Amino acid sequence: MDGDARIESLAKRLGNEAAARLDVDATARKVVERLREQPARRALWIHQTWLRIAASLVIVVGGAVAIRHGQPARTDRAHDAHFVADDLRDLSTDELRDVLAGFDEMVGSSTVAVPEGSTDLRELDAHQLRAVLRSLEG
Amino acid sequence: MSLPQAATADLPRDAALILAWQAGDEQAAAELVGRHARPLARFLAGAGAPEGDVDDLVQETFIRAFRSVDRFRGQCQFRTWLLTIGANVLRDFGRRAARRKMLPLDDGVRDATGDPHEHAEASEAEALLAAGLQQLPRLQREVFLLRAQQGLEYEEIAAALATTPGAARVHYHHAVRRLKEVVK
Repeated sequence: MDGDARIESLAKRLGNEAAARLDVDATARKVVERLREQPARRALWIHQTWLRIAASLVIVVGGAVAIRHGQPARTDRAHDAHFVADDLRDLSTDELRDVLAGFDEMVGSSTVAVPEGSTDLRELDAHQLRAVLRSLEG
Repeated sequence: MSLPQAATADLPRDAALILAWQAGDEQAAAELVGRHARPLARFLAGAGAPEGDVDDLVQETFIRAFRSVDRFRGQCQFRTWLLTIGANVLRDFGRRAARRKMLPLDDGVRDATGDPHEHAEASEAEALLAAGLQQLPRLQREVFLLRAQQGLEYEEIAAALATTPGAARVHYHHAVRRLKEVVK
């Protein structure tokens, strides 16, 4: 017998004893019993998995909402640092005086922080007028 | 629940039993176990399943096969497909055993008949072959067993292992060459 044939002959005998010892009827019975149990276990697994997913979603969404409400909005913080006077940079001196005069009428002239030594807005230059507006913004 | 006999009369027996099982017929599942359990046990033992675990591994293989039978497209025979699932079950078993720091055990296959002297020589050669099989890459080992032990054609083996008949042939010849060196 050549080498290949011998190996193939030996291979055909491999596992014969284990196969002969196997109780086929008992194996079939056990397999069917386990298959019978499977649908119930599968349904339970699906139910538990959906519950876990739902709980995780509640935690994530709830946490996100809580964080959003607990912190001031980013746009608000940006607005705090913004001066209206910066928007008036392009205005001429006369236009600035008109803005201040209009503002003066609205809030009352006593509240306007006119620089020391000045009695009339018309005496102020553009730089001083912007400083007045900044002081009004607080 | 069984399918009408006329609906399954023309189908090969395994295909008819699979359809019947999918329709809820437990007896069909039991018959499929009866038809394929022993060849599966031979395959698992030959692939290195410990003697005391062959029974459990056979059960586990059938359970996995029945649970995923919807994925069986008839690309090969049911038995061939079952054997490849058995190979996966055995691999998973080996991983679990390795985690528990258990050494894989070879099945000490013995023939209880024949001349005692010849029997002793045969046993020794079989033990060497079994040990040699464990040294082979997985694909070579599976191709060798499917071909030499189960007697399958290369086309059938290729379809089951998602390879080509030519590649299966090459794996087989590599396996035989290495096993011949072990079993001298």
